[in-house]
Amino acid sequence: MKISYNWLQKYFKEKLPEPTEIANGIIFHSFEVEEIENIGDDTIFEIKILPDRAHDCLSHFGIAKEISAIFEIKLESNLEDYEEKIENISKSDLEIKILDDNCRRYMGRVIKGVKVGPSPEWLAKSLVSIGQKSINNIVDATNYIMFDLGNPIHAFDLDKLASHKIIIDKAITGEKLTLLDGKEVTLDESILTIRDEKEALVVAGVKGGKKAEVDNNTTNIMIEVANFEPISTRKSAKKLGIFTDSLKRFENEIPVSLIPVVMGKITSLIIDIAGGEICEIVDIQKQKDEIRRVLFTEKYLKNMLGVSIESDLICNILDRLGYNFKKNKEEYEVEIPFLRLDINGPHDMVEEIGRIYGYQNITPVLPEIIFKKNENKEWNYINIARNYLVSLGYKEVMTYAFSNNGDIELMASASDKNFLRINLANGIKKSFELNKLNLSFLGDKEIKIFEIGKVFPKGQEVMNVCFADKKEIKEFSLEKFVDEIKNKEEFNNKNIKENSITGIFKAWSLYPFITRDIAVWLPGGEDQKKLENIFVEEGTDLLIKEPYLFDQFTKEDRTSFAYRLVFQSYDRTLTDEEITSIMSKINEKIISLGWEIR
Amino acid sequence: MQEYKKGSLHPLTIATNEAVSIFRDLGFEVTLGPEMEDDWHNFGALNFPDNHPARDMQDTFFIKGKEGILLRTHTSNTQIRYMEELVKSGGNPPFAIVVPGKVFRNESTDAGHEMQFYQIEGLMIGTDISVANMKGILLEFFKRFFEGENVDVRLRPSFFPFVEPGFEIDLKRGDKWFELLGAGMVHPNVLKNCGIDGEKYQGFAFGVGLDRLTMMKYKIPDIRLLYQGDLRLNQF
Repeated sequence: MKISYNWLQKYFKEKLPEPTEIANGIIFHSFEVEEIENIGDDTIFEIKILPDRAHDCLSHFGIAKEISAIFEIKLESNLEDYEEKIENISKSDLEIKILDDNCRRYMGRVIKGVKVGPSPEWLAKSLVSIGQKSINNIVDATNYIMFDLGNPIHAFDLDKLASHKIIIDKAITGEKLTLLDGKEVTLDESILTIRDEKEALVVAGVKGGKKAEVDNNTTNIMIEVANFEPISTRKSAKKLGIFTDSLKRFENEIPVSLIPVVMGKITSLIIDIAGGEICEIVDIQKQKDEIRRVLFTEKYLKNMLGVSIESDLICNILDRLGYNFKKNKEEYEVEIPFLRLDINGPHDMVEEIGRIYGYQNITPVLPEIIFKKNENKEWNYINIARNYLVSLGYKEVMTYAFSNNGDIELMASASDKNFLRINLANGIKKSFELNKLNLSFLGDKEIKIFEIGKVFPKGQEVMNVCFADKKEIKEFSLEKFVDEIKNKEEFNNKNIKENSITGIFKAWSLYPFITRDIAVWLPGGEDQKKLENIFVEEGTDLLIKEPYLFDQFTKEDRTSFAYRLVFQSYDRTLTDEEITSIMSKINEKIISLGWEIR
Repeated sequence: MQEYKKGSLHPLTIATNEAVSIFRDLGFEVTLGPEMEDDWHNFGALNFPDNHPARDMQDTFFIKGKEGILLRTHTSNTQIRYMEELVKSGGNPPFAIVVPGKVFRNESTDAGHEMQFYQIEGLMIGTDISVANMKGILLEFFKRFFEGENVDVRLRPSFFPFVEPGFEIDLKRGDKWFELLGAGMVHPNVLKNCGIDGEKYQGFAFGVGLDRLTMMKYKIPDIRLLYQGDLRLNQF
């Protein structure tokens, strides 16, 4: 979520630390900060809120709470003790009926006589800073409070409704609804809607409809602050293919206790920027937040973190995080704030205390237990097969588990191949062809490759071994293959001398290579190294492989050495002329030494 | 004359063998699990509620026509399978396992992402296995894996449903930090789901990308090079 530094500052009297310091604090004590961007006089943080904290931290208030705990700076206001202070409230004929349990609470309020128009500059700027569009003062106010406190809000044009009655109920199968963006969706009875007496107005918790949209002529509005069950809301949105900021909050679950606070704040903001006459709240509540308490002991905390934290510091951390708690010797009874739906047991408190304490303060300790170590047959077999094949000159490759055909098909795949392979042989065949083209480059006499991996024939999952040379491709189940190896234990990893293998990968060129073979008669006693040196010196950087000796024979007092030279450039396709010119230089040098080229 | 050449191992195998050998030294035993998995072992038992946004964190390949069957998105399925077996055979913690294996993610590929890749999962459970122990094991592992280099680890808070607290762990090589793995203290629900007493036993789990380790070790620039069946990769 995008979080504005200036927006956060509104929660504190004290000047906040610099943005980079804030970001570091959040990274090491709360969340990943994916990006920091300076926009005008503001700094915007892109903070990755994972599902466990989406209940309370998909909002500026949520992040302000974290900052307050991390940096020990006092928050100006806390939601827990919020009370609406609005006077002169008029009566209203608004009626709300919840006919489906997936609506946990619905609070509505009519505000009459608002002036719809552009938002004040601060409001428009705040929304734009976090990547939102400014639409009009009413819609902007609802968005602002959602990004401020985390509960989505919807505003209806009261006069566009069939009557002043709001019904929360399942849609009728086949019913159509035109959304705010103009898109028409077809609903069914699994989808919860907000309705007037005639038809669906809103996909509950997901997206508003066109019918009751607030526009420039709107004067009377109804504000909705509600709470919907996460799973059904998520399913509705998935079914309709709609993803919104509102959905994101509801599908992660929000406490119903947040609703009155949000209604209070949105009312004040609308009165401030659009005027109007406030009517009384209509509040239908089907579900209440549970009061939760968690017990933990200092001993448990120490056992889990592996570090002993002083009682005073534990109390200090709990205070900073806004927990009310009772301490009884070394036992803590913590009351969980309603926003913290993620806290359910002592293990959750380990994280709370640990992250504020600072994981960097935990010293690494190797455990002292001696564990029993069983051998794993399949793992041993894999290694025996590998080592055995390597001893026979085979080289290991890995190919994809995906295939164009097979017995097991994947749903909605990002791959262009939608099946799981039924054998390794098809992949090995392709690999063999590819490697054959590079034979000279590889400096091998012939290609011998193998792969060990899972295949999925007839709905089964089997570990296979496949190997290929120029004569044949063979494939067996791992079990059968290894069972038939004599002295298989010799090839077990623990009997293979291990060298730590280091080195730096050398990328290969994407341009074609050119090979040239050359055979030279050397007089008896002459070292072939001399000849190799000529190749290397005259071959320039384009000679990318060590000269490869592929044939050698002696006749009378001379020996013929036949070498293969491989040339390749990393930045262009080499021409024949270039290589011919290099080869002539090599030839000249050889002749000048009085040797004969065959 | 260039003599008869021995074959060679894929770089991923070399790195995996080295990782396994270090973890064995540190007390872990190897165990393996299936690549095609059911929902319970890949998600449910690992404390991912049905229809929960946490499931969106892992792009999953589902199998057509087989309800609840998928390609495992992590080697963590094998934590569950191992513990279920242990309990069934009357065993108890302490134990420590590592699981090297192939996993799948239904996402588009680039130099750093593949639809198939390898992980090594670690799980250590006892009566007092702590965050400090997890830090100790991982630091020791990286010291040995990147032998001769100056390495360090640091923890950042994160979330995976099967652990609490959960961490992202960064590795420092030289003066640079790399975001490398997810880890955490095993969630009591996970132990409970396997029939292990979560109040008596505790411990940590982690999952490291083996492709990533291989690439870091040998400076291989693109993960996709690992699965082309191209022998030019076998340079070590």
